Amino acid sequence: MNIKRDIPTATLSGFALSAVLVLTLITILLQYLPLSQQRVGDALLALNEKEGVANVVTTVVVYFRGFDTLGEIAVLFIASLGVGVMLQPNTECRLKAESNFMLQTASTLLFPLIILFGIYVMVYGHLSPGGGFQGGVIIASGVLLLLISHKNFEVPHTVIVAFETFAGVSYVLIGLMGLLLLDTFLGNFIPHDIANMGMLLSGGVIPLIYIIVGIKVGSEMSGIVQNLMQRSDDV
Amino acid sequence: MTGFIILATFVGIIVVAFASVVQKRLADSVVFLMGVGLGSVVLFFLFKAPDVALTEAVIGAGVGTFIFLIALKHLGEQA
Repeated sequence: MNIKRDIPTATLSGFALSAVLVLTLITILLQYLPLSQQRVGDALLALNEKEGVANVVTTVVVYFRGFDTLGEIAVLFIASLGVGVMLQPNTECRLKAESNFMLQTASTLLFPLIILFGIYVMVYGHLSPGGGFQGGVIIASGVLLLLISHKNFEVPHTVIVAFETFAGVSYVLIGLMGLLLLDTFLGNFIPHDIANMGMLLSGGVIPLIYIIVGIKVGSEMSGIVQNLMQRSDDV
Repeated sequence: MTGFIILATFVGIIVVAFASVVQKRLADSVVFLMGVGLGSVVLFFLFKAPDVALTEAVIGAGVGTFIFLIALKHLGEQA
């Protein structure tokens, strides 16, 4: 590959210019680095101790910023809706060819393990890295593996709709329960003791919400992936 | 040792990103872009952000690459 011929001078000078800009920014930022800084995380860590959840990120995402997470779920729902509406149904499935025997066997073997790992990441979201979003997408990638390898595999539309509706409704219902019992939307109304920190059943309502988020994200991503695989935009 | 790994990963990400830009075929670019995602996973993990690393591994390197490839397949000969 001849770099001189392939890349015009303008692109190269653009690279050089952005490198200089980034270096300047880094130099300025390093000069103003305070020696003893009050970090944002410290306040959140102090607050986190009241909720009894081992993973601080989960507390922030699901509890302190729970309403934002509800909005993110709504954004994902609209994206899934857009994919479904914009791509026309195509019955002949020209993207799908008969796949290799080895791929079929290996994917059948791997599919339960991927689903199990997705559920693990979802359920242990309040104890270890991960959570609803990651676990949901892992489950969707398992569905994607089967969609690639098996020609006739399909998740029934009614199943996806049922999971999605259940998850969306119960998220809002849990939020309203908190409003009813504790006067705050998404309030932690289930007893949560700091002594139980690190146990599977701890943190009150937080793991419950993250599992619901996982179900919602998993069904929506599976729907998006299935629509992309089975539909064509030029019928 | 960790510092060396971080530095090597930084250099690797820049090299892979450059390679992704100069590819002739778009499918090759997408595969190199996945390499950028994998390098970021290592960096996020070393900088003690395992949550972000997991997200990047699943979405950036996994499903994102798939969606790019499907879009390229839909475009067919135009791309």
